[in-house]
Amino acid sequence: MNASLDSPALRGSLDALPLFIPAIPFAFVFGVVVANAGIPQWLGWSSSPIIFGGAIQVTLLTLIGEGASVAAAVSAALIVGARHMLYSVTLAPRFQHQPSWFRWVGSYVLIDQVFVLSQIKPIDDPHDFRRYFLSAGFTFWSLWMICTALGVVLGPAIPPEWRVEFAAPVLFVSLMMASSDRRDKLGAAALAMGLAYLLAAMPNRSGILVAVVVSVMTMLFAQKVRPA
Amino acid sequence: MITLAIVLTGLGSYIMRAFFIFALARYTFPPTLLRALEFVAPTVMAALVISMMTTPEGELVAGPPEALGLICAAVTAKLTGNHILSLAAGMISFWLLGWVL
Repeated sequence: MNASLDSPALRGSLDALPLFIPAIPFAFVFGVVVANAGIPQWLGWSSSPIIFGGAIQVTLLTLIGEGASVAAAVSAALIVGARHMLYSVTLAPRFQHQPSWFRWVGSYVLIDQVFVLSQIKPIDDPHDFRRYFLSAGFTFWSLWMICTALGVVLGPAIPPEWRVEFAAPVLFVSLMMASSDRRDKLGAAALAMGLAYLLAAMPNRSGILVAVVVSVMTMLFAQKVRPA
Repeated sequence: MITLAIVLTGLGSYIMRAFFIFALARYTFPPTLLRALEFVAPTVMAALVISMMTTPEGELVAGPPEALGLICAAVTAKLTGNHILSLAAGMISFWLLGWVL
């Protein structure tokens, strides 16, 4: 296989790298959560390969550390991760012309950053799409396995006053702008921000999902009333 | 018990990701739905940013440094399309204003 600069596999890995930087402080936050939960480090880390989703892992282990029941902790964590269902619907058309093994494997690495990359860089050729998606996904996966292991071991080594965890919202703002390549998409994003703020007190961050659904429907309705 | 919780959450989050990819594998998408799906990425990212800047009680935890950082990151992303630059602009302006204030 030739690894020229144009190869979708190489591009997928390279595109994933900058998106991973904000995940590094998050891996340390995760390490602190595992330490506070008072569970064995290896057990806390095992959630990385088993769940593979930072916010879901942090929610689950925080609640377990607080003494919540398994049912309560699991359901809260899954509500936090519910936006992945929207990713699943959104990518379903792209997965139609793919072999079934890719549906199994691709679903496993379908995280925020990989989803947005697949939306920012629409690749028409199914073979290229598959290579790009898997390469970005497993680059992210490998780095997350390593960094959460480091985070669990090194724990609270980073001084909290640096506020490195602010890198996460900064990245998501950047991804929001990159995926808003039209004015109406930017408008939808602004609407979603306002709604997410109004709904921020909903339990288990479920306001995220409501804000998204309502702003998407509003934009569709606006398109009907005043076609672009 | 903790192992059970981790495995259940892992299963659940995998099913959430895989469900529609499998369920809609042979489904013909109506154009309206395809148009709606175009808005998913920008709106989810927007809602995630706000959720990171609010407490579970719904209170905003962003001050002027956070606001400046997010604005600088957004403008840099729009102008350059480069996420590293955008991250640097956001973090540096956030740190600088936090240090000045």
